[in-house]
Amino acid sequence: MSATSARPHASQPSDSAFILKKALISAAVALVLFSLMIGIRTEAGPEGNLIYWTRFGDLAAIVATVFGGSIIVELLRQWWGPVDKERIVPKPVQSAMSFAGRWLAPALLGFTVLVPVIFYDQRYILDLSILVLTYVMLGWGLNVVVGLAGLLDLGYVAFYAVGAYSYALLATNFDLSFWVCLPLAGILAALWGVMLGFPVLRLRGDYLAIVTLAFGEIIRLVIINWQSLTGGPNGVSGIPRPTVFGIPLDNSDDGLAAKLGIEFSPTHRLVFLFYLILAMALITNWVTIRLRRLPIGRAWEALREDEVACRALGINTTTTKLTAFATGAMFGGFAGAFFATRQGFISPESFTFQESALVLAIVVLGGMGSQLGVALAALAMIGGFELFRGFDQYRMLVFGIAMVLLMIWRPRGLIGHRAPTVFLERNQAISSDLVKEGHG
Amino acid sequence: MTAAAATPLLAVRGLRAAYGKIEALKGVDIEINPGEIVALIGANGAGKSTLMMSIFGKPRARAGRIEFDGHDITGVPTHEIARLRIAQSPEGRRIFPRMSVAENLQMGADATECSEDEREVGLERVFALFPRLKERIAQRGGTLSGGEQQMLAIGRALMSRPRLLMLDEPSLGLAPLIARQIFDAIRTLNRQDGLTVLIVEQNANHALKLAHRGYVMVNGLITLAGTGAELLQRPEIRAAYLEGGRRG
Repeated sequence: MSATSARPHASQPSDSAFILKKALISAAVALVLFSLMIGIRTEAGPEGNLIYWTRFGDLAAIVATVFGGSIIVELLRQWWGPVDKERIVPKPVQSAMSFAGRWLAPALLGFTVLVPVIFYDQRYILDLSILVLTYVMLGWGLNVVVGLAGLLDLGYVAFYAVGAYSYALLATNFDLSFWVCLPLAGILAALWGVMLGFPVLRLRGDYLAIVTLAFGEIIRLVIINWQSLTGGPNGVSGIPRPTVFGIPLDNSDDGLAAKLGIEFSPTHRLVFLFYLILAMALITNWVTIRLRRLPIGRAWEALREDEVACRALGINTTTTKLTAFATGAMFGGFAGAFFATRQGFISPESFTFQESALVLAIVVLGGMGSQLGVALAALAMIGGFELFRGFDQYRMLVFGIAMVLLMIWRPRGLIGHRAPTVFLERNQAISSDLVKEGHG
Repeated sequence: MTAAAATPLLAVRGLRAAYGKIEALKGVDIEINPGEIVALIGANGAGKSTLMMSIFGKPRARAGRIEFDGHDITGVPTHEIARLRIAQSPEGRRIFPRMSVAENLQMGADATECSEDEREVGLERVFALFPRLKERIAQRGGTLSGGEQQMLAIGRALMSRPRLLMLDEPSLGLAPLIARQIFDAIRTLNRQDGLTVLIVEQNANHALKLAHRGYVMVNGLITLAGTGAELLQRPEIRAAYLEGGRRG
């Protein structure tokens, strides 16, 4: 913080001249380019002759846009600028931003709680928010493995699949309720997490990534080929819907609506699912935050920083890694069970590598280890993806560009700074930008 | 406690260790008595760091015996050795760069179960020794200077209230003035708290002046042993580690 406020305005005059000059050059280039492309329009006339007319109004608008846009881009570059540059953020903007930063998480949470109330009639938005929350939970789960323990896991979808299939098979074969299956799904996924953990204990970085990638594929292939158990590519259907502790959410006489004496509506189930995944995600978040303050959480973070030092300090790296894998996998399993009960039908197609990549992208874009960042990234990735549905063939392009830009301007993710968990006297955040990657 | 003075705190006998087929330690014997500073000097690749790491269980001893306070610790897993209160400050400092100074120190305390009070006492001791760390308490480890990082690495090791502190090249890459501060701190620790220290150094001059006794290691074997002052006078030591180094 101190470095940013040390020389806030020192170099501004020359900067504004520079910005203006750059914008003028951009505008001149645009004028030259677009004067022919937009300024003059030609068409073949009825007798094959050439008719043309001028569109100087459009040309002026384009050039003005380029001029203004260039200034804005340049200003943004100065504010969010490259890591090693000093920033010229004016004091009021700075304090406004820190104010926003403090209230962003509570405001977001408050809004999320109210979503079913505000959008009660809009099934699409409810569905979408349930999807976003599922990815928030997956992101928070993977964050334990990748963000905290620094173990690059490309096969996270395997645990999601294990959780989903555990619930689906237990519920359809043994008639167990969602609330019995949920912990079982978590435990089974954690078990698979440990099973993956053992062979990869010695691996780091790229090698670990490849093995976890293979692990995710193995789980998917086993599900496809073990037809007698999993139904193979046909998946499992008729998965029971969740009940409010035994009371079904349907139109029957035993249903919740009948018991409460209100008119039945299919939206009730959506609202219930919404609050269910919200609660599950918040529990994930709470557990992660608590764990970070315990020796095991600190050991995860230390492991991410330096494994040799961890050993020198007497940390049992084996159990530390395995608990990270198991904890992350367990949350993935919970999310999987929720996914199965929401969909009512699951098939191996829902558990492809693309899902792993998406969740990993959410964690990395959010800022490794930052809980709020992961939530924001999930909102931007899943919500944004839906937002661009109209553009269809361009949305991957837009997302690619957005990601590249984000990585240029925020190389540590949306929220890159890491809040310390041990306080002795005063708490003072050090901007991540002052610390380069790796050893300082 | 008086009886303990007779038996060494750490005794290494006939220790052999290897990386794959390359034998790094070929039967090493050293002893460290309680309250002593012992320096281990030698050229690059002599096996000094390997010896220190081998005492800590990695790489494992292929033959020989390591005794700590009369107990055999040869096959004990690394993380349990730290619980016996042997602390190690590894080569190249290896602090946790993205964690704050406070968290780095806490990591040292985490290894041994210690109460809140003991932690406070430990922190006071570290801050008394290195006041600079107190100023930088909320800063990330990676933003510290090299000297401060070394102080942090030693402070972190001290947080586990060690009975034996092993330091691997504490002066590596430090300006002479800072290196002297580090050596002074080690001397203070030894004089005030009676802390037993094993120090591995290339900077033979400094290390031998600091140490009560020293061992010289060549190619995985101890070739010379004696008090620090004695070793400093030996012509072969002067030739190999002191004058040659200075002129070169």
